[in-house]
Amino acid sequence: MNPHHHSSYLNPNSLKSRFTKNFLRSLIKINKQTPFPCRPTEMFQRCHKVKTAADKSLACAVGSRRVWSRAMLCKIRNRALRRGPQKPPSVRRIIINNRTMKKGFNCLKEKMNDDQEAGIDQTSKLRKLVPGGEAMDLCNLLDEAAHYIKCLNTQVQVMRSIADFYST
Amino acid sequence: MEMGDKDKFDLEKRSENHINYHLPGSVPSDWRFSGANIANSSLGLVSTDNQMPVCRGDLVGASCSSASMVDSFSPGVWDHPTNTQNLGFCDINVQHNASTINPIGIRKGGPASLRSGIDKTLDIVWNPPSSQLKGGIFLPTTPGALPQSLSQFPADSAFIERAARFSCFNGGNFSDVVNPLGIPEPMDLYSRGGGMMQVPHEVFAGSGLKSIPGGQGQKNVMNMGDSSKDASLSVEHVATEGSPLKNERRSGSFVRSHDEAKQGGSGNESEETEFSGGGRQEEQSMLEGNGGELSAKSPGSKKRKRNGQDADPYQAKGNQQSIEAAKDNPEVQQKGDENPASTPNKTAGKQGKQGSQASDPPKEEYIHVRARRGQATNSHSLAERVRREKISERMKFLQDLVPGCSKVIGKAVMLDEIINYVQSLQRQVEFLSMKLATVNPRLDFNIEGLHTKDILHSRAVPSSNLAFSPEVPMAYPPFNVSQPGLIQGSFPGMESHSEMLRRAINSQLTPLTGGFKEPTQLPNAWDYELNNVVQMGYATSAPQDSQDINGSLPPGHMKAEL
Repeated sequence: MNPHHHSSYLNPNSLKSRFTKNFLRSLIKINKQTPFPCRPTEMFQRCHKVKTAADKSLACAVGSRRVWSRAMLCKIRNRALRRGPQKPPSVRRIIINNRTMKKGFNCLKEKMNDDQEAGIDQTSKLRKLVPGGEAMDLCNLLDEAAHYIKCLNTQVQVMRSIADFYST
Repeated sequence: MEMGDKDKFDLEKRSENHINYHLPGSVPSDWRFSGANIANSSLGLVSTDNQMPVCRGDLVGASCSSASMVDSFSPGVWDHPTNTQNLGFCDINVQHNASTINPIGIRKGGPASLRSGIDKTLDIVWNPPSSQLKGGIFLPTTPGALPQSLSQFPADSAFIERAARFSCFNGGNFSDVVNPLGIPEPMDLYSRGGGMMQVPHEVFAGSGLKSIPGGQGQKNVMNMGDSSKDASLSVEHVATEGSPLKNERRSGSFVRSHDEAKQGGSGNESEETEFSGGGRQEEQSMLEGNGGELSAKSPGSKKRKRNGQDADPYQAKGNQQSIEAAKDNPEVQQKGDENPASTPNKTAGKQGKQGSQASDPPKEEYIHVRARRGQATNSHSLAERVRREKISERMKFLQDLVPGCSKVIGKAVMLDEIINYVQSLQRQVEFLSMKLATVNPRLDFNIEGLHTKDILHSRAVPSSNLAFSPEVPMAYPPFNVSQPGLIQGSFPGMESHSEMLRRAINSQLTPLTGGFKEPTQLPNAWDYELNNVVQMGYATSAPQDSQDINGSLPPGHMKAEL
């Protein structure tokens, strides 16, 4: 973070710019789709939409390179499927199972070791926090957690900037 | 070389005939290089026995023009395809050596090899060169390459490669090589091999093999026409591919030789240069089973040998593999070194239990782990140790990411902090999305591009949003209350709050400048502490990095920028 970067364009391919573009686009879309909510329920819905949009645009900006981004995208899509045409939950289950089972068996033993090493509660908590964390061993989990934290920071920064910008 | 010239020309003619004769048919099926027909044929032409007596005489007295020697021998060489392979290789090497260092000496080596038969010839020929060319790393490779090339006779490329190599090695090792042999005969072999080597010779002319009678060589080349070109090309390929170490040299020599060969084969040159330039990969594929591999390994093996330790145990293995034609030990050992090159990698790769001399063999996909003193060398414990190290390394990285964790030591506490931080970040996202949901209506009249630019490049300047300000800190205190340890989470809110306030107060302030030089002007309404924290953050970094202020860490600490 150098104090001079405001004078030069940020890398157009950076995660930040990608996320910003995606998020702004989805925000505008949300705005167009629904009128400004008057009632709290609508407000909550809108809020949820915005949050989903933020998560999704972040995951898309990251791409499929990371386990957590893929997991997040899957989750969002499943949610959409679930809510949309009311597909049977089996679809969702299948998707999730495929993902977890692949690594589940391999990682089971390692996960047990991980828990012993680092504390059962903490690792399980971390797994829950990081999307897609259940199916990873501690080593990869820490890796993904680090990247996830980085991306979350970026997300918060950008969202705050947007909020500030539009609150003027 | 009494008969030298005369015979040479006779031989040449014969060789030419042979070459033409052999061209169509003698290409071995397993010869990889379709374009290397010439090479095959030329190899085939290298005869072992028949020509030897004839050629020897030529060789002995041969002048430095290795090419001439080659010519003289080539006819004989051409006669015996199978043998010629070996001979060819020997010859090439010898010739090169001869040209570079001591023509006579080289020649001696050549014929000798021819005499004793393919295998022996190879051994003889190769041993001296290898011993000689210690400086030249790939020399040893060539000897090693020979045995393999023998088996794959169409290994014209290997042959050529060696020729190329020798051309590169103008260092006079060959004289020594030859001397031990003390056999003038090898020269015959070389000359024979030279028959086919002519093509490469032309290529290597620059390196010093100019002795190649340009005319003769050209003649043969011209006769062969395209085939020679192919051969040269293949040679190029081989040469360039053979030894990664000498690649640049070879290409250099090739280039030179190309120039030299321009005498007759301009086309050749262009092709050759092209190939030398980019033919590495092709060569690689071509040389696959050839000495190319060996040559590639032999430098490594050579190194290993020098280092001493691993070479010996592996030589046996290498010997088994490499001994196809060569029976002599030195060569085999050279090859053995090459072959074990792969094996030591593997054995070393197995958890590096032996505390492998990983320095020598090129590290492959295995992770070399050295067992520390007093630690178990069980493969399981080694793997465990590697894993633990990986985890601790990642924890360190996370420590840098998460503010306020630098003082913490210990996995459990660290993990707690990390979990808290992730939770706070996620809550911030929720809060901000809620905020945005309420703010959204104002987005409509803004252009997306403008938004992006503004947002990315500047903290939005809320000219005065005191209305919002109270909201922000109010949202965050709950965080504080719920998790006393999560004070850091409150900072962003506070910080943005104060930032907004500042902006309201100091209209001149642009967040981008990051030069909040008016910390003193902060309203007293704010906590002085908070102000200090914020000042720190702003003074040292752009306002965007408000989060860097968390935990009062230097902004650079946060590697949030992606």
